[in-house]
Amino acid sequence: MESIRKRAKELLDSKQVQVIIGYENGTSNKVRASFIKDSAQVDKLIYDERCTQNLALYLVKHEVKHLGKMGIVATIPAMRTINMLISEEQVKPENIVVLGIGEDGKLLDFPDLTVMESFLQKANIELTAKDKEAIEKLKKMTTQEKFDYWSNALETCFKCYACRSACPLCYCTRCAVECNQPQWIPVQASKNGNYEWHMLRAMHLSGRCVSCGDCGRACPLDIPVHLLTMHMAEESKRLFGVDSGLSMKMESVLSNYKLDDKDNFIL
Amino acid sequence: MARIGVFICHCGENISATVDVVKVAEEIGKLKGVAHSVEYKYMCSDPGQNLVIEAIKEKKLTGVVVAACSPRMHEPTFRKACENAGLNPFLCEMANLREHCSWVHERNDTTTEKAIDIVRTLVAKVQRNAALQPIKVPVTKKALVIGGGVAGIQAALDIANCGHKVILVERSPSIGGHMAQLSETFPTLDCSQCILTPRMVEVAQHPNITLYTYAEVEGLEGFIGNFKVKIRKKSKSLDEKLCTGCGLCTTKCPQKKIPSEFEQGLGLRRAIYVPFPQAVPNKPVIDKENCTYYKTGKCKVCEVVCPTKAIRFDQPDEIIEESIGAIVLATGFEVKRSDFFPEYGHGKYKDVIDGLQFERLASASGPTQGVIRRPSDNEIPKRIAFIACAGSRDPAKGIEYCSRICCMYTAKHAMLYKHKVHEGDAYVYYMDIRAAGKNYEEFVRRAIEEDHVHYVRSRVSTIIERNGKYILKVADTLLGAQPQEVEFDMVVLATAGIASPGAENLAQTLHVSYDQHKFFAEAHPKLRPVETNTAGIFLAGACQTTRDIPDSVSMASGAAVKVAGLFSQTELTRDPLIAQVNRLGPPLYSTCVGCFMCQPVCPYQAIEREEIKSRDGKVIKVLAKINEGLCQGCGTCIALCRSKSIDIHGYTNQQVYSEVVALFNEF
Repeated sequence: MESIRKRAKELLDSKQVQVIIGYENGTSNKVRASFIKDSAQVDKLIYDERCTQNLALYLVKHEVKHLGKMGIVATIPAMRTINMLISEEQVKPENIVVLGIGEDGKLLDFPDLTVMESFLQKANIELTAKDKEAIEKLKKMTTQEKFDYWSNALETCFKCYACRSACPLCYCTRCAVECNQPQWIPVQASKNGNYEWHMLRAMHLSGRCVSCGDCGRACPLDIPVHLLTMHMAEESKRLFGVDSGLSMKMESVLSNYKLDDKDNFIL
Repeated sequence: MARIGVFICHCGENISATVDVVKVAEEIGKLKGVAHSVEYKYMCSDPGQNLVIEAIKEKKLTGVVVAACSPRMHEPTFRKACENAGLNPFLCEMANLREHCSWVHERNDTTTEKAIDIVRTLVAKVQRNAALQPIKVPVTKKALVIGGGVAGIQAALDIANCGHKVILVERSPSIGGHMAQLSETFPTLDCSQCILTPRMVEVAQHPNITLYTYAEVEGLEGFIGNFKVKIRKKSKSLDEKLCTGCGLCTTKCPQKKIPSEFEQGLGLRRAIYVPFPQAVPNKPVIDKENCTYYKTGKCKVCEVVCPTKAIRFDQPDEIIEESIGAIVLATGFEVKRSDFFPEYGHGKYKDVIDGLQFERLASASGPTQGVIRRPSDNEIPKRIAFIACAGSRDPAKGIEYCSRICCMYTAKHAMLYKHKVHEGDAYVYYMDIRAAGKNYEEFVRRAIEEDHVHYVRSRVSTIIERNGKYILKVADTLLGAQPQEVEFDMVVLATAGIASPGAENLAQTLHVSYDQHKFFAEAHPKLRPVETNTAGIFLAGACQTTRDIPDSVSMASGAAVKVAGLFSQTELTRDPLIAQVNRLGPPLYSTCVGCFMCQPVCPYQAIEREEIKSRDGKVIKVLAKINEGLCQGCGTCIALCRSKSIDIHGYTNQQVYSEVVALFNEF
């Protein structure tokens, strides 16, 4: 914790960054995102096991972006997100300084982003045991069982789009579901409409999802929507050998074609 | 309020035999927005088109739906008719009642209902159509011909004779291609080089033709009328301006034992060489892989003997960039080698050769001066066998197709042998004789009847070498099919013709489609055989499929006319059915977020970057922008766009949505 504060102070004092995105204590024992612009405030910054949110979400927000260069406290999924955002040209690498947090919770020193890239090549990017187990369970189901599972799980969804808001890679200024000329995806929460929304979200994140799990945590109804995108991430690893967000020059799985790509899944 | 006119065609009986067209016209006439609904026997006929024109004028139609055949057939016809009547042609749509309905169903009520549904969707769509203006693009009147075989030569000469500049690119050191290697040609038995070399010289002398030999196309950008090509002119290690072509270097080079590509490995060449005496240009190149100097740093004999000091060991490859308007692909074919056939000795039997090698043996300029000799011991073979369909028409070998040329050249080979070795015996083992062509059948009969070539209908199962002889296991299928073993001195395999090596790479560089055998694909097998699906790129000769000289030459002239036709226009108009990224007012400017996922999927490299700048020049936003000239309207980018920021004129989201909704909802 101290090392994060020290590094944040350094960065702010030397004007290397104009804002530090980190975690601070909120109300009722919750942590929340903190945006420190003044080095006198760095003592607000904390880091403990409650700090799970992927802070890279804020890198693309206009309100934060316009402050200038950004320092960000980044766990491994957040680091992968940063790489994805750079690959997709949403942020400029020169505008970002990463205060990396390793698996052990210790501050990692990244003088520049290429060091972060090489750290990620070796980092543990496995899913948590809980998520892994849930996905394995889903994989073992028959098509009908899977359909029933998701019909049941998505029944309560009332399209608050919290999953979308929490996702750092859902950065479009106008989401496809808000496109109402014509309205391909219905506004109201209905059985088919819910399917359409969640399928669309899973497809849009295919090959991009960094498996941070924030969408599932954000869901007020505890629908495990993160399993959809995590499973797509597993599939893109299985079919194309790509783990998203390991470098700043990721080629999107969906829009790139290589001659040795497998095509045995094409009917 | 929309005023749509619907015109339902009987297509003779093609549609009316299965669809109740009168009922379709009646039901469609009841739809909201439809001001006019009629049926007629032949809508595409002059009176039929006049029905459309008169109705547009009289009823002041705002859109037209012609329910007839596929838009591929008659969409241009009816769009033109609408234009003549003063209606924007893009306000005309076609409902495909023939291919999509009447041809695939039987006559009953549901067929008619489906026809009504199809027309209904188009009526819904056309109400969302926008009046579009055709796009005009300029034309660079210079052509690129890739491949300097007989097809490439013919295409280049024909285009050049129309008064246009041509760049001819050839991969090897000389133009001429496979035809230059042939001894005689069927069905006239005239000398191949004698008829080809005058054309080669004409290419070299033509003021409109720029010839790049020992060069390859490396990259292509742009679109019809406006291509930019990158050509790598490989280093010949020679100053071509100084070289007089005296050939002294090619006689002094100490590296003598390199198998000659031109002689199909039956002859030898040096490391500095001219592939054959009539080569154009008749100037040597240094084969860097085999040259002693490039391998060890010592030698330079050629430099010492050269009287004009033209050798340049340090010459780099040259990259040439040219602007061109059209491309003719004439990269030709290759033949399978004898090592492709394990049953015929896997290439290990020296006297089992392929057809192209036999051509060199029979050629007066070949390694044996035209005497047929066995490569193994230089003896004249007394008994020779020709095996037709070696590889061709053999799905087990992955070559299902007929190579088209082998029946004829095998007859020619057998005849040439008989003309040269009068006492010898020639046997042809064949599956079928395919001699479709002017004077072709007569030629084969001549081989059988006048030159006494023995034709045996059989497939040869194995060849075994025994004491310098070759034993063929055969079974004459017209005489009881008893297995026999027959002894020969030499065997010639009429091996399958295959796509030129590198064809696949070139196709990907140029973005033209190709078939499973890597032959370039034509745009339509019957009606557009010399065009590719990429506008402005044409095909000539055996790169599309193996074909003989007359066919290659006529195809080349056909491609040349396509190029000349293109160049007869000062600017091209094209359909504006292209994609567009939406634009909005500030502060959003567009819903495009500039993720550029669309960029790699575009098969035409049509997606560019557009920077939105503030007054003081600061970049506010970077957006995708679609180049009007390059976009072909395939819609792949639209499928990839997460924020639905791209739409395609003529097939907008609104139009497609209206069609879908029309299918589900009764009006």
